[in-house]
Amino acid sequence: MKKTLALVFLVFLFTIQFMNSYGIQRFPKPEFESGYVQPETLLPNPRAEVLAILDIAVLIISLSVVSWLVIKKRNRNGVFWMSLFALAYFGFYREGCVCAIGSIQNVTLAIFDKSYLIPISAIIFFVAPLVYTLFFGRTFCAAVCPFGAMQDLVAFSPQKLGSRLNAVLGVIPYIYLGLAVIYAATGTDFIICRYDPFVGIWRFNASFGIFVFGGILLVIGIFIARPYCRFLCPYGVLLNWASRFSRKHITITPAECIQCRLCENSCPYDAIDIPVTTKNPESKGTMARKLIFITFLIPVLMLAGGWVGSKLNEPLASANAKVRLAKQILNPVTEKNQAETFEIQAFKSAGKQQRQAFAEASEVLHKFYIGSWILGGFIGLVFGSLIAGRMITKHQTDYTPNKGTCFSCVRCVDYCPVKLPLITK
Amino acid sequence: MKQKIIIISALALLLLLIIFMVKDFFFNNPGNTNPYQFELDNIRKGDSAKAVFAETQQIKTSLEEIHGIATDTSGKIYVSGKDSVAIFDAKGKTVNKFRIAGTAQCIAVSENGKIFLGIQDHIEIWNNRGEQLAKWASLGTDAVLTSIAVKGENIFIADAGQKVVYRCHIKGYLLGKIGLKDPATGVPGFIIPSPYFDLGISKDGNLWVVNPGRHSFEKYKFNGTLLSSWGKASMATEGFCGCCNPSNFAFINDSLFVTSEKAIERVKIYSADGTFLCVVATPDQFESGTKGLDLAVDKQNRILVLDPVKKMIRIFEPKK
Amino acid sequence: MQNRRDFLNLLCRGTILTGLAATTGVLAYRSVKGGNCDLGTSCNNCKKSESCDLPEAALFRQTVWQLDPTKCIQCGRCAENCVMSPSAVKVTHVYAMCGYCDLCGGYLKPDTKNISTAAENQLCPTSAIKRKFVEDPFYQYTIDEPLCIGCAKCVKGCGAFGNGSLQLQIRHDRCVNCNECSIARNCPSDAFKRVPANKPYLLQGIEAKPEEKNKV
Repeated sequence: MKKTLALVFLVFLFTIQFMNSYGIQRFPKPEFESGYVQPETLLPNPRAEVLAILDIAVLIISLSVVSWLVIKKRNRNGVFWMSLFALAYFGFYREGCVCAIGSIQNVTLAIFDKSYLIPISAIIFFVAPLVYTLFFGRTFCAAVCPFGAMQDLVAFSPQKLGSRLNAVLGVIPYIYLGLAVIYAATGTDFIICRYDPFVGIWRFNASFGIFVFGGILLVIGIFIARPYCRFLCPYGVLLNWASRFSRKHITITPAECIQCRLCENSCPYDAIDIPVTTKNPESKGTMARKLIFITFLIPVLMLAGGWVGSKLNEPLASANAKVRLAKQILNPVTEKNQAETFEIQAFKSAGKQQRQAFAEASEVLHKFYIGSWILGGFIGLVFGSLIAGRMITKHQTDYTPNKGTCFSCVRCVDYCPVKLPLITK
Repeated sequence: MKQKIIIISALALLLLLIIFMVKDFFFNNPGNTNPYQFELDNIRKGDSAKAVFAETQQIKTSLEEIHGIATDTSGKIYVSGKDSVAIFDAKGKTVNKFRIAGTAQCIAVSENGKIFLGIQDHIEIWNNRGEQLAKWASLGTDAVLTSIAVKGENIFIADAGQKVVYRCHIKGYLLGKIGLKDPATGVPGFIIPSPYFDLGISKDGNLWVVNPGRHSFEKYKFNGTLLSSWGKASMATEGFCGCCNPSNFAFINDSLFVTSEKAIERVKIYSADGTFLCVVATPDQFESGTKGLDLAVDKQNRILVLDPVKKMIRIFEPKK
Repeated sequence: MQNRRDFLNLLCRGTILTGLAATTGVLAYRSVKGGNCDLGTSCNNCKKSESCDLPEAALFRQTVWQLDPTKCIQCGRCAENCVMSPSAVKVTHVYAMCGYCDLCGGYLKPDTKNISTAAENQLCPTSAIKRKFVEDPFYQYTIDEPLCIGCAKCVKGCGAFGNGSLQLQIRHDRCVNCNECSIARNCPSDAFKRVPANKPYLLQGIEAKPEEKNKV
């Protein structure tokens, strides 16, 4: 043991000049004669790992209960109480971390960076809500996600936005998702977590900016119900798509729609598709022309988007620390009474080569180049689909929840006069 | 109408949030001013006015690491380091360079030209042709030898690891230990928080040892009797800074002390009774964080400072 | 018509489920294997396991954030960028490394004339370091944690003048373990990393402690 100590010390001597910024290891220990006992360095432990399993269990049980309440019981009250529970547990108790929305980034990072070992809880928080949505619709959004629960509480006076506005604003989450994936894949940042609006409120502790951010979002939420879920949430994009193929989904009426229009204004989220009875169905010619136009439009938009994206790869990459460092090495900024930035100071004291820094930066830039082509193409596709969706009118006879955008909150059910006591019992 | 206004203002707010996110993400760099800056630069510059010495020569050593410096009566300069020892003449020309096994932390040259090296826990004796004359046994597994001084038949070895000075006969046997804490004789004991522990022999034939933890010099008879001590802990130029300083010293003009410090890298001269006299080298002449500036004084009274970061011998002479 | 739509739905659902299952499987397998550990031995038989940073059976291993004091340049951003206020990063005193110096570079301002506990001599902006006499010439320094804001001023002072026994660490009683640490992204020296939750601290010199205990 003494030998190892001596060895450690020798190694230390050898590296003195490389570790200038750092002191020399304690050597040797003072010998106290007054009976002084050296205190222990107290190192509080983080949250017990076992509790991660509790989180997973709560998630699965909540998803199951809410799905049962939505699909079988069609019970708004139950959903409401479950959402309060979610807010209390995932929001205030778990303080917003771990969350399904942010887990997109963990999964992306784990796919692209093999050295990042993703814990099982992050995988499950990503996968479980998607799986449940594939079977029961967006019951996760209804009352398991603390974000939704939070905004649901303040939706006092929801206004109708109209389908056009909804469609246009609905593009934002796609862009947000694309950016989140590209920044997670390159190991740059987790932007979803960075602009998480409610963590500050749940933790009762945050910078002023975050509080204001969350506060403003809640104020908007009074008039535009669930603004984060509808017009920002990147995980909502995935759930939206999964929900379109869901096996079961909440229906407004338990039996036949009697076209009473009572539910028409019940949805705070504009997620009820109203009947479209086209009196003059389009001729085959116009339909064909529209289809041909769309099949051309989408690839063109994707290519154009990709091209524009690839041009933007450098500004996008400027958020990456490695790229920023390389830039600062090339163009040293001198601020008032500050010879060099902390990044440059750290770079120098780490004793790295400039060549190495540039190589790392150019590798990141290359990733961003590919990523921004894909991102641009993806956004092009989203816009193309948006236009296509508005061109093609879907024939519809009943009032039904839109499977993509419906949060399964079960509000509309209470407005439907059709009751089937035999079935509910 | 009212509904429209509500929707438009809500959407405007939403837009504002998105603009805030974009702006924050792409245009907000963390500032480069530190409100909690540790102000050391003022002190590092502070005492250059008191410098009465100038750097006149630099000798580059080709050693991988350098740790110890010594001079002999003929004016030659000896530098010890990792796996080798180099010998230079007074002008800086390499006279000889030979390989040793291990890192020689300290070096001393006797009147008859023998080279004493402290290699971690033991002493080796070489001649200037690069031949090993003797290798002594280890002074213990905890030993970390940091300084050697030779006078006649006596050799003194500073062991920072065991916080003691060994007095040995030049033939290799132990004559005694000096500096162990003893309230009866008033020896305070060495406090050595970091492995810098220097000693030297003054012209009047007494042993001077640095007690770095007490920021002081202690004067011993060869038999271990404590005679006197001086020193002052202070960040100011007049004192010794940090937890444990001075790190090294040498004698100039027979009785004056040349001292070097780490943390605030400075070389200064004190009188025999510990009065601050002048500054030789100021912190801004060294890389920040330089530790272990070993010192020697040659025949012409030039001060030789071993700079382990720049890996050179830096020679200081009084300004004309 | 209805049947065809149902079939398409089933097909898409199946595809998505398969995709999710495959992703989960690959990621879980990687985590079980221990990520980029390519030694090919199980952790139990691995000789490196003591010094290994990779969490064993990483799948069930949670990670927490910690900062590596050897990379830290004491820029002061820890004090200002944490989602918590005051920061979850605080100075931690490794007593096993401390020199118990009278003239403490982490406690006193560098231009102090007298060594005393007077407030104007203290380096710490919040007076969070307490000094107590032990015996000549040793003084004990303790951190009053609630006062510490993690500015690293003392860390710099201790590193410059002393042994570096004052080190910044994320205190896990305060850290809420954000998915992405907001100090990490502002750290100029890339000192923050995810560490296995069973080894949540990266202090220097603390390993030497049990050996020193044996010596006494």
